[in-house]
Amino acid sequence: MYLAALSGVAAWLPWVRASGLGAPAWAEAIGLDHPFSSLAFLAGVGALFASTLACTWGRRSRIAARARGALPVGSIELEGAPAEQLRAFLRARGFRGEGPVLRRHAAALWAGWVLHVGLLVLVAGVGVQQAFHDGANFELAEGETARLDGPGAVFQRERGPLAPRDAPALEATLLAFDPYLRQEGYAPDRRSRVLLRAGAGPGRVLDLDRAEGTRIEGVDVYQAIPTGYALLLDVAGQGIRSVHLHADGPRRATAEVAAPGGAPMRFVLEAERGLDDRSGAGAISVRMGSAAGEAALGIGAPFAFGLAPARLVAVDRWAGFTYERSPGMPAVLAGFAVVLAGCVLLVFPAGVARIEHEGGRDVARVWVSRGGDVLADEWRSERDGGGGA
Amino acid sequence: METIAFWAATACYALATVGYFVWAAFRADRAGTAGRWLLAAGTIPHAAAVVLRWIAVGHGPYNTRYEVLSANVLVLVVVLLVASARAKELGGLGAFVAPLAFLGMGWAVSSFGVRAEVPIILRSSWLVLHVGFAKLFAATALLAAACAAAFLVKARRTEALRWLPSAARLDLHAHQFLLVSFLFLGVMIVAGSLWAHQSWGRYWGWDPIETSSLVTWIVFGIILHFRVLHGWSGRRMALLTFVGLAFALTTVYVVAIVVPTIHDAYLVGG
Repeated sequence: MYLAALSGVAAWLPWVRASGLGAPAWAEAIGLDHPFSSLAFLAGVGALFASTLACTWGRRSRIAARARGALPVGSIELEGAPAEQLRAFLRARGFRGEGPVLRRHAAALWAGWVLHVGLLVLVAGVGVQQAFHDGANFELAEGETARLDGPGAVFQRERGPLAPRDAPALEATLLAFDPYLRQEGYAPDRRSRVLLRAGAGPGRVLDLDRAEGTRIEGVDVYQAIPTGYALLLDVAGQGIRSVHLHADGPRRATAEVAAPGGAPMRFVLEAERGLDDRSGAGAISVRMGSAAGEAALGIGAPFAFGLAPARLVAVDRWAGFTYERSPGMPAVLAGFAVVLAGCVLLVFPAGVARIEHEGGRDVARVWVSRGGDVLADEWRSERDGGGGA
Repeated sequence: METIAFWAATACYALATVGYFVWAAFRADRAGTAGRWLLAAGTIPHAAAVVLRWIAVGHGPYNTRYEVLSANVLVLVVVLLVASARAKELGGLGAFVAPLAFLGMGWAVSSFGVRAEVPIILRSSWLVLHVGFAKLFAATALLAAACAAAFLVKARRTEALRWLPSAARLDLHAHQFLLVSFLFLGVMIVAGSLWAHQSWGRYWGWDPIETSSLVTWIVFGIILHFRVLHGWSGRRMALLTFVGLAFALTTVYVVAIVVPTIHDAYLVGG
């Protein structure tokens, strides 16, 4: 109940709902700036694990005993008729067995136990996954290659305390990118062709869109939504470098970079129409500003990029990607599967009955997972009125 | 053609509502029988309307308020018909379902003309499981609450709602529907998280509807615990079933309308 309340409240916090909105000081002070990794939340998850474990512990032997016919206190007693009539009544309601003990949906006796074990595996799996999880964003312009473990290649990285320190040794090259490709039956969306190479292995050329990622050497790579304009610069001594611009208005994008020598430089791109106009942005102009002043840049024209001579080769687009490593996922999926198996079993009404002869009369002691009152009513009705099942 | 099928279904549900009302108010058994037949008959043009829209837009009923609500109503009626084929005494629940179906169609028609392209992330086989079980979850949660409501009435006056089974059986059926609903919600959440992992590399993102679904699942789990482990039944369980329904309806219909969420496309329109 505590976790449900905390999750419900946390999901509505403004800084959780809107990315980029900072949490207020009071929230930071009590750890609610990141509520789902806060101590309060983790303590709740720990308490849930502990209480589930306590609830599961010892239950197996009780269920096994019940399946053998050791019924709990409070089981229903059906009496007032010979054993054969009791047996026929129970058989008509799904109970099976030849001896004194009859069972209905015997596997369903284990439903609660399976569900609880599944929850334990799931919570443990989530713990492993969070501990080893590693993910970050990266951007590539067409023709650009980046090694993800290189300096500055990835950003907004999130990793668990036991995840590798370095980003994966993966080399990615963007071969082609279309931000508004129409695939039949779907709205226009991003699509990339990328060359991925893990370590010194051979590269693989793959098409990526936002419907599904791709996996290479345990690393999943996904097409992300962000995109923007990129300036491809031919910098003396450095080869082709790309400057990724970010929207600064509907028709304007900018980027601030440190030029060779360390001087800050600012690039500004302005378009005739909207930057994301699907029919095209129209005429584009590029300017470069520095402490020395501002100048327009034309394709192929040389300019001083700090201490290095450079020229603008092309104006293109960059595409955003993410990578993820989640080694705990199999445990999470296994937990899900076991929980669902428990839920499926729960749907079947389990029952155990034991027919005995005591004190000169036949009696059936019955335990059912649900509907005990209804069963007792039906027995009274059958016994007194001779009604059918 | 789709319009004709849609209105034919709506008319069937409206007439079924009238039939059930006459049955309940004036104890006219023939009106009740007519209500039952009309409710069942309505599913034929209704299914046709859903299929025709599917063909026209090229995707299943999961992307605009009309498509979603219309399909939700169809699933609700079909689940009732299947349940009552298995337990005939549940046929009387049509008196609760028919007006809901009619109202649902009324809400759906408010965005009948909206046709939106689906985003590429919907190209996933997990989508079928996720959306299908969401509809089954909503339907079974409603039927659980209908049983609980009928239980409360019959527990006060045994002779009331004579077309429905005894209070004890209604209590049992409410529990059965709640259990199945809990299972369907679990499958919906799991399929959704696997789909999210396939598309974005994360299986959980604390999106408002994700969180609301999880909270609802926990609440259903708590309610079932009260019955299974602590032996709660009767009036207390009926009231708790309404609490579960409130969470279910909030998750399926309210959150997507009032909060920005990655799920809001399914209630677009109007």
